Amino acid sequence: MGPLRGQPFKWHPVFQQMIRIGVEAVPMASLTAFSIGLTLAMQGAHELNRMGAGMYVPNLVSVSLLRELGPMLIAIIVLGRSGSAVTAELGTMKVSEEIEALEVMAINPIRYLIVPRFLAMLVMLPILTVFGSYIGLVGGWTICHFALDMNTASYVSRAVEAAQLGDLYSGLFKSLVFAWLIITLACHAGLNVAGGAEGVGLATTQSVVSSLLAVLVSNAVLTSIFFFL
Amino acid sequence: MMADLPAECSAVPVIEVQDLVKEFHGRVVTNGVSFKVYPGDTMIIMGGSGCGKSTLLRQIIGSVKPTSGSIKLFGEEITTLNEPELAKVRRRFGVLFQSGALLQSLTVGENVALPILEHSAVDDSIVELMVKMKLELVGLTGFEDLKPAEISGGMRKRVALARALALDPELLFSDEPTSGLDPVMTAVVDKLTQDLTRKLGMTALVVTHDMTSAFRIGTRMIALGTGSQQGKIIAEGTPAEISRHPDPMVQQFIKGEADGPIPLRLSKGDYLKRLVGVEANS
Repeated sequence: MGPLRGQPFKWHPVFQQMIRIGVEAVPMASLTAFSIGLTLAMQGAHELNRMGAGMYVPNLVSVSLLRELGPMLIAIIVLGRSGSAVTAELGTMKVSEEIEALEVMAINPIRYLIVPRFLAMLVMLPILTVFGSYIGLVGGWTICHFALDMNTASYVSRAVEAAQLGDLYSGLFKSLVFAWLIITLACHAGLNVAGGAEGVGLATTQSVVSSLLAVLVSNAVLTSIFFFL
Repeated sequence: MMADLPAECSAVPVIEVQDLVKEFHGRVVTNGVSFKVYPGDTMIIMGGSGCGKSTLLRQIIGSVKPTSGSIKLFGEEITTLNEPELAKVRRRFGVLFQSGALLQSLTVGENVALPILEHSAVDDSIVELMVKMKLELVGLTGFEDLKPAEISGGMRKRVALARALALDPELLFSDEPTSGLDPVMTAVVDKLTQDLTRKLGMTALVVTHDMTSAFRIGTRMIALGTGSQQGKIIAEGTPAEISRHPDPMVQQFIKGEADGPIPLRLSKGDYLKRLVGVEANS
C-alpha cells in the first residue's frame, strides 16, 4: 500500500483507464464473442444432429462460453489490445525520461501510472468477460433460431438450465486471475524497457507473448482445479 | 578542489557535494567531485560532451545512486534516504530536463498543473491561474490546450521550465536550459533565471554548453575534464576567475576552439593504432 500513502488517491485516471481498457474494447470483444458463439453452435449442431441431440446445442454453447471460451478469448483480446498498449506506453515514457521526471517531481510513478491501470484491468476484464459470454450466447441463438428452427424461449431456457451459477463464478474467477497476470506482466515489461525504440518494441512483444502463455497455462491449471473440486 | 567558503556567506549550503564518485561498468564518470552551492547562487557546470555533467546532475537530484561520496541538499544527506524521504526533499526543488520530459499524454497546461495538483490542495480555478502565470513567465500564454507533440522543441523546453517553476522551488536544476532556443528566448530564459535567483533568492544549478548564457547568469562555475581528467573538476571559481583560468583545456572550451588540448584529430600513431591495431613506426 506504500504508493497509495501520503497523497489523496485520485479516481479520475482509473475511470479513464477503464474506458480505454474496457469500453473501447467492446466492439472487438462483441464481434469475437458473437463469431465464436456462432461457430460453436454450427459445429455443435453438426455433430449433435447426427446423434439426434440437436436440442442440446444451447447447453453446449452456454457451458463452453461461460466456463472456458468466454474468459479465455476475452483475455486474449484484452492482452493483445490493452496489455501491449500499456507496455508500449510505459516503455516510451521510460525512454523519454517521463517516468524519471515524475520521480523528481516527487510523484510516485506506481501510484500515478500503475495503480489506475491495475484497478481498471481488474474491474473491466471480468465485466467484459460476462458481456462477451452473453454476446456469444446471442451468436449461438442466431444459428439455433434461423438454422435449427429452435424458438427463442426454448433456446433461453436450455441455455440457462445448462449453466449453473458455479460456471459463471468460475469464469469470473478465471478472468480476475487473467487480468492480474496481464496487467502485471505488461507493467513490468514497460517499466523495465531499456534501449530506445528497439527496446520498446522488444518489451511489447515480450509482454504479449508472456501474457498469452500465462493466460493459457493458468487457464489449464484453473480448469483442472475446478474439474477435480 | 573544494571551494573556499565566501567571506560574505555564512549560510548553510543548499547543495554540498563531497568526494563524489560514479562508475558505470568500471568506467569512472564522476571522479572525486566536491563543491558547495550557497543560497541565491547560480552554479554553472560546464565541460565537453561526455565529461559527466548530466550524470553529476542526475546524482544530485537522486535519480542515479553514486558509487561513493556524499550529496547534501538543504543540509540533508540524500544518498541514504529512502523513496518517501527523498520525495520530501524533491518537493523543494524543480528540475528542467535536457529533453523537457513532458508527459506526452497531457496538454501543456496539464503538464504545468501536474505538480501543483499533486502537491497542493488549491481550487481548480487557482491552479488554472497559476498555470497561466507560469506560462506567461516563459512567453507561452495561450498554449495551454496544445499537446507537447503539437509545439516546437524550444517551446517544449520552455513548458518544461514553467513546470519546474510551478511550485516556486527554492532550488532549480537545469540541464541545457537554452539548447534549441532562439537567441531572444535564450535571453528571456537567462533573464528569468537571473530574476529568480537575484531578486527572489532562488538557487540554481545549471548544466550548459552555452558559454554566453553561462557567463551571463553564473555566479560560480565548475569545469569538468575529459580524457585523462574524465569526470574531475579542472577549474572552479567566479565567471571572472574562470575566464582567466590558466588551464588550456578550460580556455579551449570557453573560446570554442576546434583544436587544442582536446584534439581535433588523433595523432598519426593513435590513428593507425585505432584503425588497424598497429603502431605508427611498424
